[in-house]
Amino acid sequence: MSKLALLIWALNITVDTVGHMAFKYAAIVDHKTELGRWKSMLSSFPIWIGMACFVCEFVLWLAFLSIMPLSLGILIGSINMVTIMFAGRILFKERLDRMRVLGMTLICVGVALAGGFS
Amino acid sequence: MKRRDFYMAGFGALMFFDTLTQVSFKLSSSHAGVFLPEFSWLLKVFLNPWVWGAVIGYLGSFVAWMTLLKRAPVGPAFAVSHLDVVTVLIISVAYLGEKLSALQVVGALCIMLGIVFLSLSKENKNDEQDNRQS
Repeated sequence: MSKLALLIWALNITVDTVGHMAFKYAAIVDHKTELGRWKSMLSSFPIWIGMACFVCEFVLWLAFLSIMPLSLGILIGSINMVTIMFAGRILFKERLDRMRVLGMTLICVGVALAGGFS
Repeated sequence: MKRRDFYMAGFGALMFFDTLTQVSFKLSSSHAGVFLPEFSWLLKVFLNPWVWGAVIGYLGSFVAWMTLLKRAPVGPAFAVSHLDVVTVLIISVAYLGEKLSALQVVGALCIMLGIVFLSLSKENKNDEQDNRQS
């Protein structure tokens, strides 16, 4: 994989993870009514960070696929599941049970093999 | 609608839209050529009809996902939401003429197995409760 592809891939994963965390921050705001919850979500800063991240991700993924085969892109892009779970663990204290850790490990191994990082 | 039919339709729609998104991304980016950090490259991408396939795919996936979550358990739904890896790989090889090495096939199998393990993980109700802000 070229240095440019590696850079775009790393940026894409970072932006994707930040976006998901921002949406999570926005989504956990509680309110008495569903309409009120949506209003407070849409007026919160994190949701707009999330949206900006997904716009960036859209362009980054297009750029990535312009220099990588789709089959390889989709495989090494799977690492986002691992980064999102790690971020969820750090920021939201989400639990990582054995099954999740095993799943994340297998995905890391798979990405390393597919991307030739091994 | 019977539960089984609902799952089949919902998961089928989700995989279809996710696959459409990824294939559309590839076709529109291929049309624009190798990435250049220039506005003209972006313009080429957005003038290609396939980029709208990606947008439609995103919207369709969102609707399918939100509909599924009304009745489907989150664990398996989460797994299937990532199993478009399988359909995208099939289309990449069969229709886009891409080739996978033996090592990449092993990597793909590891990733799929990893997704299955993630889906088997029990949802922890405390995760939800802990995160809610008043």
